[in-house]
Amino acid sequence: MERYLRNYDAISEAEQESLAINRVLVLGCGGLGGMVIECLARIGVGHLRVVDGDLFEANNLNRQILCSTMNLNRPKTLAAKQRVMAINPLVEVDAVQAELTAENAAELLADCDVAVDCLDNIPSRLLLQQAAKTAGVPLVHGTVAGWFGRICVIQPGEDLLNLLYPDVGDAQGEELQMGALSFTAALTASWQAAETVKLLLGKPGLQGETLEVNLLEPSVRKIKIS
Amino acid sequence: MIKVNTEDYPWHAGMTVRALLDEKQFTFRHIIVRVNGQFVPEEEYEKYPIQDGEDVLVLHLMAGG
Repeated sequence: MERYLRNYDAISEAEQESLAINRVLVLGCGGLGGMVIECLARIGVGHLRVVDGDLFEANNLNRQILCSTMNLNRPKTLAAKQRVMAINPLVEVDAVQAELTAENAAELLADCDVAVDCLDNIPSRLLLQQAAKTAGVPLVHGTVAGWFGRICVIQPGEDLLNLLYPDVGDAQGEELQMGALSFTAALTASWQAAETVKLLLGKPGLQGETLEVNLLEPSVRKIKIS
Repeated sequence: MIKVNTEDYPWHAGMTVRALLDEKQFTFRHIIVRVNGQFVPEEEYEKYPIQDGEDVLVLHLMAGG
């Protein structure tokens, strides 16, 4: 298919067909989620369930690829669905305008091959890890603060987020002081998308490690944490 | 010699978590410290000893998306 011509031979035609039947859950459609959705739709992941309860605000314009002056005060999930329809109508999008809760987590994860954590707070991230563990779904975690990004792949039961967020309750992190920059979100999200596709295709990726991205230094370090 | 985020760093007698953070100029407000995998709460930084050969992890606490 012409639209996927430039995916080859980085991925094979058989892998392309495989992606078309995969299902990925993207939690959060903001700075990270928007770019994850963009990448997964363009490469041809067949089914995306995108979840966010928020509307776009003017302070999202600095970094969130789905946010424009045309869709302020509108749902992020609606923008995600419209964006995917515009770039790849072969991708089925299930847009869920809701926050992740203990009550809806299992339903959101149902039938998904991979979940991508693009959330913006610690309690929701820990809730997602627990729900993904119960559902047996691997999780691709990403987070940003200022010039810094982090990516981890969490297999069910590994509980890596407990190591990254030990006893911190509902505290917020460096992002409160550092804010969030467009290129940090784009880079971190792109790396999440790559790890997601590798999981779907059975290719080796991050294992028990955190990938620490520092765009100021600049450096990328892969650190074993389990 | 100790490891700090996978890289070698010279150890000295009496080194504590706080001393290491100061030497490395880790000045961020929200960080997570683990020594040989053991989480070290912030209130213990001043006294928590780091022994020669130990593996220290210093990561930002961040949750932005």
